Amino acid sequence: MIHEHLQEPEKERLRTDLASWEIGPYHGALPAPMQLQLTLDGEVIVSARVETGFLHRGLEKTFELHLWQSAPAYADHLDPEGSVFGELALCMAVEEIARIDVPERAKRIRVILSELTRVTAHMGYVARIARSVGSDTMVHYVLRDREKVLDLFELLSGARFSVNFLRFGGVQADVTEGFIERVLEVCDLIRFRLKEYNDLLTFNHAFLKRTVGVGIIPHGRVHHYGITGPNARASGHSLDVRKVAPYSGYGRVDFEIPMVTPEYGNEGDIHARFLIRLREIAQSVEILRQEAEAIPKGDFSVGPIDKDFVPPAGEAYSRVESSRGLLGCHVVSDGGRSPRRIQFRPPTFSLLAAIPELVRGVRIEDLPVLLMSLDLGIAEADR
Amino acid sequence: MNELSGLSWSAAWRVALGLPEAAPQWLIATIGLICIYGLVILPSGWMVAYLDRKLSADFQARVGPNRAGPAGFFQPLADLLKLLQKETVQEWSWREGFWLGVHTMALYSTVAVLPLGSLALLVDTDMSAFLPFWATLVLALGTMLMGFSQGSAPGWFGGVRVAAQALAGAFPALVALLSAGLQAGGFRWSAFAAIQGGSPLHWTAFANPFQFLAMVVFIISGLVLLGIPPLDAGLSIPDLHGGVASSLYGRRLSLFQLGRFYGFFLWSVITVVLFLGGWILPAGLSVSLQEGGDWKWLQLLELVWLLAKTYSLMVILVWVARVNPRSRVDQITDFAWKVLSPFSLFALIGAALCAGWNVWRAGV
Repeated sequence: MIHEHLQEPEKERLRTDLASWEIGPYHGALPAPMQLQLTLDGEVIVSARVETGFLHRGLEKTFELHLWQSAPAYADHLDPEGSVFGELALCMAVEEIARIDVPERAKRIRVILSELTRVTAHMGYVARIARSVGSDTMVHYVLRDREKVLDLFELLSGARFSVNFLRFGGVQADVTEGFIERVLEVCDLIRFRLKEYNDLLTFNHAFLKRTVGVGIIPHGRVHHYGITGPNARASGHSLDVRKVAPYSGYGRVDFEIPMVTPEYGNEGDIHARFLIRLREIAQSVEILRQEAEAIPKGDFSVGPIDKDFVPPAGEAYSRVESSRGLLGCHVVSDGGRSPRRIQFRPPTFSLLAAIPELVRGVRIEDLPVLLMSLDLGIAEADR
Repeated sequence: MNELSGLSWSAAWRVALGLPEAAPQWLIATIGLICIYGLVILPSGWMVAYLDRKLSADFQARVGPNRAGPAGFFQPLADLLKLLQKETVQEWSWREGFWLGVHTMALYSTVAVLPLGSLALLVDTDMSAFLPFWATLVLALGTMLMGFSQGSAPGWFGGVRVAAQALAGAFPALVALLSAGLQAGGFRWSAFAAIQGGSPLHWTAFANPFQFLAMVVFIISGLVLLGIPPLDAGLSIPDLHGGVASSLYGRRLSLFQLGRFYGFFLWSVITVVLFLGGWILPAGLSVSLQEGGDWKWLQLLELVWLLAKTYSLMVILVWVARVNPRSRVDQITDFAWKVLSPFSLFALIGAALCAGWNVWRAGV
């Protein structure tokens, strides 16, 4: 609307009625390809409509067209930032159907990979928030440290992203020499850096002014939308699959679930979501340290999975705690050479439903910060 | 005072340039303007752009420019040449001509009043200190029009934000300027120079606490007025793709960037002249050079000293900008109206009382 009347200068006049502005699928304010149809009163958003599907790749259908052997490689692409979580959810479900008992060493390697992935995802999150408020120095600091974790992935699997490392019944290969020591080194480094991040951005006055009290997800609306993960915990819901239904040996690890409660002061706003990620990084580092120190000797896999691998007919549902929340995977096998149906329950989907309510009354300058703070993984939502 | 002070500005320039007695005033003025523009403003832009990029790279654990010339020194020049050779595909419209005109006017009109030394003052009138001040407002107007002329939502929002910030920043800046004028007893550049000395103890900023407060208000409201990071909501990248500058490229972009730099530079020069001792050389060097009649050395050293202080101020501000996140436009205008303005009035009242006290004491 604004656009049109500027095209015709002779019709130009001061207009004070509502304007509509469509942004996307590609726009700097958007964390991923999606479309927002905004109605604006000046700079304040009155209402919004979200449209997604721009990154639909037909991923779930693809599983049905390929052998069981290749399924983990596709699950890897569910979410490029947290590739291990997709693989893990799939492997756990298939292992349940095929009744495969995963060796202890493989379980620990999986936990180490999951937590390293959580650290990289949360660091990427911190960098995106910093970029959206225009704090470039923080962006460079965080990305520099994230490289150290990505180096570990490269050391292990040869790839920095999309590691494609998990296999039914274990992992692809045993950990490289020196890997465990380097995990411990990186743990020390990150624990040290977290304080730097706090000094530089977390409690910066201008940053607090931009994030405290903005984009609040009220405690009561979390269940309404089915929001899980750090975003729910920032609003006071403690659900974490690692605690309520421990998998892959999380039960023996001693760690806390960081949570923001009403006594804390700013429940459910952008700053609470930001802070909870930093505290989760600290907890992940703690888990990594415990797991790396206690890793047992033994097999890393029950044996190679080749193209003839076929699980018996049956179905299973597995849940893992990804960096964005509860990631579910439903696998159905009819005893054939390919999966009958593989379906994911991505945590991002419920957030997309919450966007119209969240952005109401927010200024467009806060829109990028708010959207980044939700940590939308559009790849897993569109699939 | 020196023997040239009685003469008109053109005589000083004529002597400095070594022109014959019969040289017409318009010629001297033209050469003077070209000298200031080509020898001071453009190289300053180069210097500050280089320092900005190299230092912020250092702050951010990066390498920064290191290919063009030694330690990447020629990078700003390379960037400029690249922008200049870009092909224009946009059609020329009267709206664009309008903002270009306003922009250029704001850019060049103040060059003549730029205080760069005791001899380089082309124009030194009772209203001198106000001229660059209004020019920055005109620059803001040009920037707003530029945003509107793009016919896009980012340009429109950016333009409105630029205007809101310029209005909010202008009031406290003006009041802070009055405080400095009270101390100097006038708004001539030479009056500001006359009451300050080479040592920081004799700078207006440290004359009394109110003047220091006035300086702080003046600097910050300048950042608001001109939209210097981190207060550059009108050029915000995450939500508006760069706001007013979102559809600029090539020559237009280079002109716009030059205007942005010039506004920042101008404001820093004025701050130094008003509050931080201006061009007066330390250790009585100004007086001894004047007495010795070394006019060329005097002017050169004054210029170098003034620019050194200006660059330092700019680098400090860039440093602050690199560390802090960008503020929202309503927070910026709120801050300007509700915090900077009361403080500037407080500083003005205090400065007036101090000036009155000084007069009374002199009378006794």
